[in-house]
This record gives sequence, C-alpha cells and structure tokens, in this order.
Amino acid sequence: MYTDHLFDAIEVVAATREKRKQQELARLPEEAVEQLLKKFHPDFRDSAFRNLRVGMNRGERTTHEIADLLEAFSDLDYSKIDLRPEYDTDVLVLGGGGAGVTAALFAESMGARVLLATKLRLGNSNTIMALGGMQASVSEGDSPLRHFADTMIAGNNAGRRELVKAMVEDGPKIVKWLLETGVDFDRDEAGNLAAKKAGGISAPRLISIGDHTGLNIMKVLKDEIGKRASIDMSEFTPAVELTTDESGACNGAILFDLGRKRHFAVRAKAVILATGGSGRLHMQGFPTSNNFGATGDALVLAYRAGAKLEGVDSFQYHPTGVMFPEHMVGVLVTEAIRSLGGHLVNVKGERFINELETRDVCAAAIIRECERGNGVTTPSGKVGVWLDAPLIEEAQGKGFLRKRFPSLFRHLMRVRIDISKQPLLVFPTLHYQNGGILIDETGETTVRNLFVAGEAAGGIHGRNRAMGNALLDIFVFGRRAGLAASQLMPTEPGEVTLNHVYRHYDRLKSLRISSVAKSPTLFPEFIVNKL
Amino acid sequence: MHNNEETVTIELEGRKIKIPAGLTVIEALWDTGHDVKRGVGCLSGLCGACTVAYLAKESRMVKFGLGCQQIVEDGLNVIMLPYFPSRVARYLLELMENPLEQLPEIYAELYSCNDCKACNICPEWINVAGVMKAAREADYETATEHVMDCIMCGLCASRCPRGIAPQHVALFIQRALTKERPSPPNLLRRLAEMDSLGYAADWAEVALLGDEELAAYCRRVSEA
Repeated sequence: MYTDHLFDAIEVVAATREKRKQQELARLPEEAVEQLLKKFHPDFRDSAFRNLRVGMNRGERTTHEIADLLEAFSDLDYSKIDLRPEYDTDVLVLGGGGAGVTAALFAESMGARVLLATKLRLGNSNTIMALGGMQASVSEGDSPLRHFADTMIAGNNAGRRELVKAMVEDGPKIVKWLLETGVDFDRDEAGNLAAKKAGGISAPRLISIGDHTGLNIMKVLKDEIGKRASIDMSEFTPAVELTTDESGACNGAILFDLGRKRHFAVRAKAVILATGGSGRLHMQGFPTSNNFGATGDALVLAYRAGAKLEGVDSFQYHPTGVMFPEHMVGVLVTEAIRSLGGHLVNVKGERFINELETRDVCAAAIIRECERGNGVTTPSGKVGVWLDAPLIEEAQGKGFLRKRFPSLFRHLMRVRIDISKQPLLVFPTLHYQNGGILIDETGETTVRNLFVAGEAAGGIHGRNRAMGNALLDIFVFGRRAGLAASQLMPTEPGEVTLNHVYRHYDRLKSLRISSVAKSPTLFPEFIVNKL
Repeated sequence: MHNNEETVTIELEGRKIKIPAGLTVIEALWDTGHDVKRGVGCLSGLCGACTVAYLAKESRMVKFGLGCQQIVEDGLNVIMLPYFPSRVARYLLELMENPLEQLPEIYAELYSCNDCKACNICPEWINVAGVMKAAREADYETATEHVMDCIMCGLCASRCPRGIAPQHVALFIQRALTKERPSPPNLLRRLAEMDSLGYAADWAEVALLGDEELAAYCRRVSEA
C-alpha cells in the first residue's frame, strides 16, 4: 500500500488530470532528442565506461561492471578440477530459456544427442517475461524488407545486415513452426494472425498471445522438450568455464552442480551458449527487469575462450520499471500503458515528455526529471515519476485495466495498490543487452564450434532493439545454431583443456591487472537491497 | 534499506526469526542469510519457481502463494515449496491426427474429478476447478481461455486428491486446440510469396549497397 507521504503526492496527480487531458505535447525535434540522450541516457554517461585492456576487444569500451568481469579471474582452483569428461554428447546447450530450448529441439531433430544444462530451473528466463509480443512480417502491406528496414533504423544502422536479414526472413517460418508445435497466437475473425503496430514499427507486425506471449510460448516448448528422448536435461548446473582442444576450438564446458557443490566436465562436439543477458549486474546502479540468473556469464566464458564481442557498451533501459512497492522494484510495466494514453507525470503534476517517444527518449526524460528534483521520493529514498494509469480506466471504462492487464493488476492488488484508482511510481529499468558475442548467420562465434543464440549474441540489434525483436531473435538464432551445431556430429572432439583460460590469465598477469571481482558471477550478490 | 524501523516476527522454514517489515518471503530468506537458489526465478511473479505454503497468524487454513510476491506479516508461518512432482503424459503431438479425441487416454485421471475444488488455490486467481470442469465437458475453448495466465507452478496439482495435474491437462488442451485450428491465411500467403523468391531481387540490391546508401534505403522502405 502507498504510504501517507505518497498518497499526498498522488493527490497532485488526481488534481491535475483534467488539465493534462487537454494538453498536447509535441514530439521532440531531432536535435532536441539527441541533446536529451547525450545528457541523460545512461549509455552516454562516460564515467560509467572504460576501455578493455585484454582480449579480442582490447581498446573498446564497455561498462565498468562488464569490464570488471572480463578482466577478472575465476575463484576456482583449476588444478583441482578433473578434466576427464563425466558426460559425452554431440551438442551441449547452456541455458534453458527460449533460445536454448529451441537450439536443443532443432539439434535433436537432426539426430544429435543433446545435453541441455541450466543454472536455474528449465524455462526460468527472460523469455517468460516477454509481455508485448513478437515481430514477424505476416500481415498484408508488410514485408520482410520492411521489417529489415525498421530493425536497422531502430538499431541506429549499427546492426549487421546479414544477421538482420536472417532474422526477418526466418520470421514467418518461425511462426509456422510455433503453430505446429502447439503455440497459438491471437487471431482476427478470418483466422488471420492479428498483428499490431507499435513504436518504431512501420506496419502492423507485433503478434501476441494476450499479454503473456513469452510465457505461453515457453510453456509449450518446455513441454515439448520433455518429450524428446535424445535430449537430456541438467538443471541447477551452471557452466563456469568452456573447454577447448589443442587448436583452440570449443569442445565442452565445466559445469558446477549447485546441489552437490562439485564441478564436472562435459565433452561435446559443439557448444551453444544461450545463457541470456546481464541485467542482474545492475549496470550503473539501475534496477532491472531481468530474471535472477541474468548475470552475463556467456560474455565471460566466451571472451576467455577468445570470442569477439560486439556492442557491449549499449543497453536498453525500459522507461517504466516499478519503483514502489519495494519488492517489485525493476519489474516491467508494459509499454501498452503509455500507448493507451497513460501520462508520465512529475511531482508537480506536470507532463514532461510525449509518452509515445521511443524507449530511450522516454527513459532519458524520466532521468532528467528526477535529477532536476522533480521526482517523487519513496520511503526508502528511491526516486521515480508517476505513470497515470487511472486516466486509461477513466477513458476506457470501469474494469478495463483489470481485464487488459490481469497480472500487473493482480500483483499490485496483492499489496493493496489499485492501479485503476492510483498511479504507478516508475523509473527506467535495465532491460536488455543490445550487444553481445558476435555471431554469423549460423550462430557461430569467432571461436570454432562455439555457437551463441539469444540475448547473449551480438550484432543483430545495433545500438537499440525494437520491441518484439528479442522474442523473434531467440527462436531464429536458436534454430540456426541448433541446426549448424548438429552438422558437427561426425567430428571428434579433441582433448579437453583449459589452455585458453591460462592464456587469458597470463595476459592479465603480464599487464599487472588485478581485480577483486570473480567471474562468472552466476548469482547476484545478496540482493535484498537491490540498489 | 527500509527506513521504517518496524520489525515482524515470523516462523521461517520452521525457525522463529525477527526481520524488517515489508519483505517478501524470498527477501526474508535472503535477509536472514539463507542461500536460496532453487526457488528463485524471475522475481516478477511470472515463472512459478517460488511457490510457498503459509499459515497466517490465528488462521486455520494453510494458504499458498508465490515467494517473490508474498509480503510477510507478523506471526506468519511459511515454508518454500519449490517443487511438487506431478505426472506429465508423454505424447508426440506431431504424430496425432485429432489430439483432442485422445484426451481421455492421455489424461484418464481427469475424469475421476469430483469437483471438490481443492485445486482452487491458484496464485494467479485462475478458477482451476472450473477449467477442469470445462475440460471434462469437452468445452475446450472455455478451458483454455482461462489458463493463459497459468505459470505452471503446480500448486493446484499438489492439492488434488485424485492425482490430477491441472496445469499439464490444460497445456495439452491448449496445444491440441492449436494443432486442430486451420493455419492463418495471412501467414500462408507470406510463406508462399517467400517460397517463390518474391524478395530475391530486393535482397540482391541490399547486398550491394554501401553503409550510407543502406541507411537511406532503409529510411525509404520504412516510410513508403
């Protein structure tokens, strides 16, 4: 429940609602957008970044949090790890979200034996949290080319065209595969897939399953993977290191059994890294919408093995993460609230940005308001602005919010906040790692036999990801990686070594780099106080 | 973190313990030094990993919820229930002609349900007993309509005296219904268009453009 202090602040929102309804806020001109981003978007805060001193991306910039991990040692004593494989397989998939499960399913469909290892429970991932939908050019008046153009523009033309082309061309095929697997999407009266428009998308292209698109896809894929005889599952066993052969090609991983607290080696002909993003590193102290396990492990493992990264200095901050109540800090409030006309309101009851600006612009504007002292302070000292949801209820009729956003409504109702009557306190939340480990169209990295799919991969979304493209990219590149990895079935994995790790450590030592960080992180630190 | 000095005393995993007010069950466990990983997932109330059973002060009924959403109140007695075994049928949808007709074989226990409603403890407020009733009566559209919010936490299965796992039954119906629906015409049209290389010339053009030309090209296509 809101505190008295916050109730007082809410009165200002209610009192100014009528006046705000009359107000038209123009979209910002291009130069103003640029200035706003440069001054207030976290990606432009130079003090938060530094250049890497070792590895394939030496001299390139990333956040301190990631640089700390890439320039760190592991806290494992490698001399004590038995490198004789306890498990031998064709394809080792690391990660149990949408990308990992898809990769495993397609590798198996080609006849490969697969081991899928996850840090948490199978399916616990950011995939289930994808609310809005998935982009696929299926509607009349849309085309793969249009999807391509929109994606390139959204990414500030920094995405790799061959990867974007692969993604948009596979879009309709992926939808077909999902339908055949038993995932249905919302349809219109004629039985067509109902595609919606969204910010930065030039044609109706967002297909969805109510407000729980990712959850309902993941449920089915999880069910399906359990029915495949040649896929073994290993839950609660995060990867802590990759292994390589004499030539430097990847041939397995060291997993850590959380229950039994012991390490073991898995040998494979190909490895697919699909362990997701890095929101739980809480870059620059931001809250995050990401799940508990999103600690950027893939970046660390692949980098030590010699893989090239791309764009790991660019992150997406979703403008509306919950800031109160405390236990929901960082949880996403869907874009749809703003698309439906919900205002962003500061402590004085004023709007300060057109709510339909892109994610990065809205996020920067909220940060600006809070830095200028126009934010609302919570009992624990956090600051946010109001998202006026009751305005929508007024316009659309009683019961609308409960019906349209059932889970958001329920989660807040549990703590006696009624979003049909009270606004939400929000602040930008770390949402997506735009860059990652560079891949080619087959999902392979610059390290032989090492594939990456999903948020861990880089090169697709450029400097900014368009809404609905993450959900598509995990299936597209999960499938491609699974198919390509299964092609390696006839090869023999060489001797299992950790030579790449020793080489990486030697470089760190020769540069006298010492770090207090230990990587991979695996789990966020004690996070009761998330900030 | 919490500026208010208020504390509550709860019984956490069988141990009486004093903690700051306003924490969730998971936060309470962390706050008291428990190394919880198995029951933690999205921390957003969507993954169903963190189910808990609790007895509120002076209450007679054990209730169920999600550890990342349940705020602990004074006198609460709570444990985590991170996993409850339930039967998942093995079937291969791709090999089934009319999968819905096979529901009575695949989940035969469904028809032993006597509508006792013990399963109506859903943390997502789903009327599970109602869904099972619709399923028994072969009203599959109604059954699936109400389970879109299901997070597969399995709490309902833990309460069923007949050993029914409603979450798996509902998921089978969801998948089977999809399989039996006709393919979306707009999707089929797009796939046919792509099969006949409808965009080959455009892609060939894209491949030849320099970076700046490509940016201009994208703007043109997007605004067309």
